[in-house]
Amino acid sequence: MSAAERSPGLAARPLAVLPPLILLGLLAALPLLNLGANSVKVLFLTFVSIAASVGWNILGGFAGQVSFGFAVFYGLGAYTTAVGINEGLNPYLTYPLAGAVAALASLLVGLPTFRLRGPYFAIATIGVSEATRVVMTNLEFTGGASGYRITEHVPFRQLEHYFTGLMLAALAVGLSIIVRRSRFGLGLRAIRDDQDAAADSGVNPYALKLGAHAIAAALTAAAGGVYARYAAFIDPEGVFGFPRGVGILLMPVIGGVNTIWGPVIGGGVYGVIEEELVARFPQLHLLLYGVLVMLIILFEPGGVVGLLQRTRRFVLRRREASWQPS
Amino acid sequence: MAALLSVEGLTKRFSGLAALDQVSFEIREGEIVGLIGPNGAGKTTLFSIIAGSQPPTSGKILFEGRDFTRVKPFRAVHAGIARTHQIPQPFLSMTVRENVEVGLRFGRDPGGARNLVKEVTEILELVGIASLENMAAVTLSVGDLKRLELARTLATRPRLLLCDEVCAGLTECEMQSILGLLRRIQALGTTIIYVEHNLRAILSTCHHVIVLNFGKKLAEGPPETMQNDPAVIEAYIGKKA
Repeated sequence: MSAAERSPGLAARPLAVLPPLILLGLLAALPLLNLGANSVKVLFLTFVSIAASVGWNILGGFAGQVSFGFAVFYGLGAYTTAVGINEGLNPYLTYPLAGAVAALASLLVGLPTFRLRGPYFAIATIGVSEATRVVMTNLEFTGGASGYRITEHVPFRQLEHYFTGLMLAALAVGLSIIVRRSRFGLGLRAIRDDQDAAADSGVNPYALKLGAHAIAAALTAAAGGVYARYAAFIDPEGVFGFPRGVGILLMPVIGGVNTIWGPVIGGGVYGVIEEELVARFPQLHLLLYGVLVMLIILFEPGGVVGLLQRTRRFVLRRREASWQPS
Repeated sequence: MAALLSVEGLTKRFSGLAALDQVSFEIREGEIVGLIGPNGAGKTTLFSIIAGSQPPTSGKILFEGRDFTRVKPFRAVHAGIARTHQIPQPFLSMTVRENVEVGLRFGRDPGGARNLVKEVTEILELVGIASLENMAAVTLSVGDLKRLELARTLATRPRLLLCDEVCAGLTECEMQSILGLLRRIQALGTTIIYVEHNLRAILSTCHHVIVLNFGKKLAEGPPETMQNDPAVIEAYIGKKA
C-alpha cells in the first residue's frame, strides 16, 4: 500500500518539520550564488509547477477525483492577473483575486460534474476544459486567439519573481499539509476509499469534494497568475490548452499521487525537464509524457515516492535477513 | 411511549417488481427488533431506504416524529440512523483507528473539544478489536472486518442501529460473541433493528420480530409467537403435505 501514507501528528515527530524548512532556506539563499538568468528562470517555472501540482493533488490525490480540466483554473488565474495588472492593480493583489475567481469557477464546474463518478467525472472535466479554451479563443476583450500582453511600468526584476514563486510553492505545500491533517482531510480520504461508506459515516461527499476543488483551483490559479506576470504575454492555447491540463495532472502522478511530497517531487522533475523536452522534441514531448504515464501506472502507481518507499522496504528486509543468525 | 421510527406504507418497485409492498411498522426506543424473512424478502432494501441510500417509490418514514423519507445518507447519520453492511465496507487505506475516527468526527456528534484518542479506544474495546488499532484495515480477517464495520458505525453515535446480517459467515463461537455485543450496545441505549437469517440468533437476542416475505409484512410479534406462527413456518420451510 504505497498510497497509504501514514501521517502521525506533528507532536509525535517534532523534527519532521526540519528538512522542509532547511530546503526552503537553501532555496531562498540560492540566488546568492549568482545563478545565471536561465537557471533562475528554470527554478521559477519549477516553483510555479509545484504550486499547481500540489494544488491538483488536494482534489486528485487526497479526494481521488481525477480532473483533466485544471487548465481552466490555471488560465483563469493567468488572465485575472494579466487584466488586473493592466487595470492598475498591485500584482500581489491580483494573485488572491485570481484564486477567488478560480474558486468561484470551480463551484460552477463542480456542481454538475461531481454528480458523476470516476472516469465519467474525468471525461466531463475534459469537456469543460475544451469549452473554456474555445470561449477564451473567441473573447475579443482579451484579444482572442492572438493573446494578451501585460504592460508594467516597473523594471523587470527576475529575483522578485523567483521569490514570489518560491513563496507560492511553500504556501501550497503548507496548505496541503494542513488539509491532510485536518478533519476535512480525513473526510477526503474516506471519500477516496469509498464514497458510499463515507456517506454512511456521516461525511457529505458532495460538499467536501466542492471544498477540495475550490482550494485546488485557487492554488492552481495563483500559479497561473504568477506565471503570467513573469511571461508578460499569455494566449488561450498556452494557458487554457489541453496539454496544460494534462501537464498539471502528470506532475503528481510522476511524483506520487495522494502524498505530501510526491507532487513536489513531480513538479520539480517536470519543471526542470519540460523546457528541455519542449525545446528538443517540440512535436514529440507529449508522446514522451504519455509513455512515461503508462510506465508509471504499469510498474509503480505510487510514482517516485512509491518507488522510494518500496526501495526502503527492500533494503530494510535485506538488512534484517543478513542479521539472522544462520 | 412514542415510536422512535415509524414506517408507513413503504413501497419500492424495481421496474414492476415490488421489492417492498405497503410495509408498515413501528420501532420503540430501546428495543432490539429482529427483521427476518427468506432471501429476496426485501430486508436489505428496507434498510437502504431507511438509511437514505435509496428513495422509496411511495410511503413514509418518520424518525422521532420528523419526516425522513428521502433524506440523504449523511443526514440520516447526523440525525442518528446508522447502518452496517452485510459485506463490510471499511476504508481500506486507513488503519483500524482511523476508520473509527471518521465515524466519530463526522457522525451525530462531531463536536470539537474532546478526547478523540480515548473515544476511539473505548469503541474498539467495546467491539473487541482494540489490539488491532494500528493495523491497516486491508489486513483484517472477515470476522474482524465485521467488528470494524460495527465500530465504524457505532462511532457515529447512532440512536438507531441498522444491523445487516452481522453474523453471516461467522463461526458459532464468533456469532455468540457478536450477539452478546449487540445486547451490550442495546443496554448502552441504542435501539437496534437486526436483520438475520439465523432464527436461533434472532430468538435469543430480540424483543420483537418482524417477518417479511416477498416484500410484504407477514407477521410481527414476540419471538416465541413468531416461531409457532403457521404463516411464518410456511414462508420458511413450506406447507405441510
